[in-house]
Amino acid sequence: MMSFITPHLPLLDLIFIGTGYALSQAIVFRAGTFSVATSGFAALGAYAAAILTVKHGLHPAVAVGLGTLLGLLCGLLLSAPLARLRGVYQAIASLAFVEILVALILFFEELTGGPLGFHNIPRVVTPWILFFAMLATMALLTLLGQGGIGRAFDAMRQDPPVAASLGVNPARYHVLSFALSGAIAGLFGGLDALRNFSLTAEQFGFSILIGTLSAVVLGGRRAVLGPLVGTTILVLLPEIFRPLADYRQAVYGLLLVVVMAFLPFGVYDTIVMKLHNRRLARAGMLAPKVPKAMT
Amino acid sequence: MIAQQVLNGLVLGGVYALFALGFTLIFGIHRIMNMAHGAVFMSGAFIGLFMVRIGLPIWAALPIAMFGAGLISIFVEVIAFKPLRKLALADAELASVISSIGAGLIILSVGQYVSKTQTMRFPFGTVPIDAIVVLGLRVTMLQLLMLGVAVLMVALLAYYLYRTPQGRQIRAVAGNYRAAQLLGVNPNAIFYQTFFLSGALAGAAGVMVGLAFNAVQFLMGEPFLLKAFVAIILGGLGSVPGALIGGLVLGLLQSLSGAYLPALLVDAVIFLLLFVILMVRPDGLFAQSMTESPTKRV
Amino acid sequence: MTSLVLKGVGKRFGGLQAVSPFDMEIARGKITGLIGPNGAGKTTVVNLITGVYKLSQGNIRFGDIDLTEAPRHEVARAGLARTYQTIRLLPDATVVANVMIGMYRHQKTSLVSQLFGLPSSRAETARFRDEVFRLLDRFGMTRYADYPAGSLSYGDQRRVEMMRALALKPEVLLLDEPVAGINEVEAAGLGEIFRDLATEGEGMAVLLIEHNMRFVTNLCDYVYVLDGGVLIAEGTATQVVNNPAVITAYLGDDKDA
Repeated sequence: MMSFITPHLPLLDLIFIGTGYALSQAIVFRAGTFSVATSGFAALGAYAAAILTVKHGLHPAVAVGLGTLLGLLCGLLLSAPLARLRGVYQAIASLAFVEILVALILFFEELTGGPLGFHNIPRVVTPWILFFAMLATMALLTLLGQGGIGRAFDAMRQDPPVAASLGVNPARYHVLSFALSGAIAGLFGGLDALRNFSLTAEQFGFSILIGTLSAVVLGGRRAVLGPLVGTTILVLLPEIFRPLADYRQAVYGLLLVVVMAFLPFGVYDTIVMKLHNRRLARAGMLAPKVPKAMT
Repeated sequence: MIAQQVLNGLVLGGVYALFALGFTLIFGIHRIMNMAHGAVFMSGAFIGLFMVRIGLPIWAALPIAMFGAGLISIFVEVIAFKPLRKLALADAELASVISSIGAGLIILSVGQYVSKTQTMRFPFGTVPIDAIVVLGLRVTMLQLLMLGVAVLMVALLAYYLYRTPQGRQIRAVAGNYRAAQLLGVNPNAIFYQTFFLSGALAGAAGVMVGLAFNAVQFLMGEPFLLKAFVAIILGGLGSVPGALIGGLVLGLLQSLSGAYLPALLVDAVIFLLLFVILMVRPDGLFAQSMTESPTKRV
Repeated sequence: MTSLVLKGVGKRFGGLQAVSPFDMEIARGKITGLIGPNGAGKTTVVNLITGVYKLSQGNIRFGDIDLTEAPRHEVARAGLARTYQTIRLLPDATVVANVMIGMYRHQKTSLVSQLFGLPSSRAETARFRDEVFRLLDRFGMTRYADYPAGSLSYGDQRRVEMMRALALKPEVLLLDEPVAGINEVEAAGLGEIFRDLATEGEGMAVLLIEHNMRFVTNLCDYVYVLDGGVLIAEGTATQVVNNPAVITAYLGDDKDA
């Protein structure tokens, strides 16, 4: 969280990139996987883009593209071992993956600058670029969600055996969700690297993992807008409470606790749910039992 | 030499075991991951430190620290987990993780405030610095204390869980929450007890680590929690003997690899081990939960 | 016309022979019954067919396709649909969403098209939606379209599950106690629908697992009887009902039919 709310960076950048990461996280949740590997994929995309631009003189766009590709490939690779695990074990395995990656990044100093970080990265990414990247990703995920892939993900998430008995090949969609997650994270990682002059491995460690996770859960796991809402809350609220700067962590923590206690499905998802229910209640003769979630 | 590293590893392992026990107790009973566990651990260290600073000897400060950490753990349960119990388990899981992270952050920020972000140290002489020589190995008083505390705590926990009616109730709830309720077990009492125990164990671990590394700092919990996952998974989520063995193995691994590998690789090795365990035997050595693929033919 | 053919199919769980090897044919255009007291192994048989359990003995063929080791999704893609003894809907998804998943088997658009929401994918989704509403209409449930499936009455949820199975347009329909807990009138209505499914057009191969003997005798063209995992009788409904072994199985134990 500490790096997530670094006070020196423009807030919009943070919101756009943060949403990108959160979308990468959200897509695996939608498919029913409890992976938190997003920050690992992002690290790969970021370092790839940075190294290719600075050390090999590649055009930034190409470098970011290759970073995205690397994220995608890593997602594909990781999907296989994680497919054999369930729930919390997937989370821990993906956490282990991230930690291994961070440790390796720190170790291979020659390549990555190690603990001192990687510097002198050209700052070519503007907030506009980030905005369009975020918008494009959200559009993609919305369209995807409305079609066959979205239906398959939803079924797999809610009842894998039933989904399979309706013809959904679990392995195929599992891999797909990881590939998507990896690609999105790789993309935003690359963009993140090129807007900041420097990179450190810690940027992609446990802190950002938690921040991304919180953004998704806070905003809502179901709707594509959920991650945006969650990220915005997490970026803006501490700013609003700037006078309490020293207690930033406490504010952040309190926010998480309070939102979870009252809106466990996330702010945006809960709003969508309530509106949906109200529409049904008005239209129907019956008052349907209030559902516990809209998944 | 190797024997000394093994000793160090076992001592460290004892502390990891305490930490892991606290975490796995909660998971085993409630099937939730208490991400505030690291913060509770830290608060135990803080309380222990302050008790020593106001003049109490270590053998008095420790139980007070444990008690305090236990109460803080109950605080976590009340603000983070209790409000979500009304939800179905599947929905509550992720929300509880986030909620407990939030609770942990609140505790962390109190720690930050109280310590003014400084690293604090136990006063010199809190634990006598004498050492004895056993079988050619040098064992300090501190190491003896740590081992002793670990052994005592585990023994007490085992006694409580396996030999008292309250402990039996806790184990009953672990099997089936609903059924236990129907049999008259008061679930709230169970929750408070398990969280208290978990916190007390973490608090003890916190004081020990604070003494061992002579550093008490508000962020000390996080790396511990991450590494402790190795111990917990190795032993099997929810298994008490597993947490114990897992903790010892982790301690040995960290100590031995720390002696022979560059520092930066030690972490990589530990997490690689975690990953491998999950691939090969995710249920750990003393499996308690199932990880079968739900769509393969059985 | 192809049938689903089970030859020597049996299942052991460790030392327990839950289903002793037996033969069964579920023919198209007919309703086949599978009856027996509780615990006889009827659902186990369905689970063996649909890919939940590994066969310990025997094989299962559907036309040229060998389903013996096929995983669940391949069984579905071969054209087999099932309903469950306990309702397994996605309770928080709408009725439309629940039924629409049943259409998965008919997806023809490419992954790329679905990935980017290309027109072909969107058109397909629209077609599926029309199909779903046709089903809703047939079952008289159009007004429940956007309701969360879990908020419906038990009988209505059963119908949603039925619609989902039918959305698959299966060649083989395995019904596991589809009218359990439903009143006579509604059950009769569903029975009509089953009869139609078997006799309309090419006709589905319908397997009906039931306890309700009257329902079975009214509907089934051929009946298999299991008791304690063993096939104790087979024949037309009348033959089976008068079979002494069957009578003993039902009346001779404490579990009620």
